[in-house]
Amino acid sequence: MYTVYGILYTYYASLISNYMYDLIIIGGGPAGVAAGVYASRKKLNALLLTKDFGGQAVTSAKIENFIGHIAISGLELARALEAQLRAQKHIEIRDGIMVQSVKKIDGGFEVADLKGGTYQTKTVLMTLGSSYKHLNVPGEKEYSGKGVFYCSTCDAPLMQDKAAVVIGGGNSGLEAARDLLPFASKITILEFAPTLKGDAVTQEALRKDPKVEIVTQAQTKEILGNDFVSGLMYVDLATGEEKKLATEGVFVAIGMRPNSDVINGLVDLTPTGNVIVDHKTMQSSAKGIWAAGDITDGSYNQINTAIGEAIKAVLNIHEYLFTDRV
Amino acid sequence: MVIIYSTNTCPYCVMAKDYFKEKGVEFVEKNVQMDHDAAKEMVEKTHQLGVPVIDINGTIVLGFDREAIDKALAN
Repeated sequence: MYTVYGILYTYYASLISNYMYDLIIIGGGPAGVAAGVYASRKKLNALLLTKDFGGQAVTSAKIENFIGHIAISGLELARALEAQLRAQKHIEIRDGIMVQSVKKIDGGFEVADLKGGTYQTKTVLMTLGSSYKHLNVPGEKEYSGKGVFYCSTCDAPLMQDKAAVVIGGGNSGLEAARDLLPFASKITILEFAPTLKGDAVTQEALRKDPKVEIVTQAQTKEILGNDFVSGLMYVDLATGEEKKLATEGVFVAIGMRPNSDVINGLVDLTPTGNVIVDHKTMQSSAKGIWAAGDITDGSYNQINTAIGEAIKAVLNIHEYLFTDRV
Repeated sequence: MVIIYSTNTCPYCVMAKDYFKEKGVEFVEKNVQMDHDAAKEMVEKTHQLGVPVIDINGTIVLGFDREAIDKALAN
């Protein structure tokens, strides 16, 4: 009888308007899923809210450093993560949900989604990761999807025999250039700094290819076009001269920004918007809010480390709920 | 009719196709990487170059946007 009630209570908890979860996990990337698995095994009354599964990892064509797999595609990993989470007995999962805000209430927090749903919880674990940083130059927004791209895995094949520009010489920029190699007739990498920051091995491979040109000290000013992108303007920072490049595809790869807007004001953030956490417990500056993965400060932006951080967080949340407060 | 314009490597295209399968909605996939006529059709009809682009009975949805897909299917 109790078991039946227990199951009903778990599945229909959110229908009871003032139901207080032990934990709400926000985000369904590797960190969120790892947290969900551990929360279930600890039998916390936990809810996981996410738009979809896999996080940014989904866009990687091939991941070769995820431990336990020689190589796995981002999509395969996302499916495996979702399957493992759904196999857990003690967690409520709501996908297709975008969280709008987290508010402090008596005894915990209220999480609101964009569809108007609200959920109350004693603790929150933020695993929302990060999203592509934008250039914020004229033309970027207008030509998004019309020659301005952020997902090179998706859109590199559309550059067959065309000249493409990659903005950013870090690892994601070099990866975009590598995705473009089989398709584009020419690839120009524009880097703001005097040197490229990406891995030396990838740099070497790209430098050997006659199709690839690397321009450093280049600041993008504007993306040009009519119906679609036709070129871009950049400033050569060494001379101050403005230069024009003809291109039909601009791949923006200037890094990521943490998705911490929903808890801005509740917790301390770094100037770049990362949640400052105690790296031993993953707790933020606010009692009751934890964070793990790319959203945190000093994150190494790795799937493996994000998973470890999330697990540390859930174990600490468990202690907080059942030890500290007794 | 639902048409999904895709490339070989686009993970969001696969996620979108899975979503339609899950909902039992039939769709036609046009691979713009392999089929130049499909690429031309996508650009002319939707004015988009990035994938996935989904045509749901004339409503164009960009990317794998579940809410926009649900809304277009309901109409």
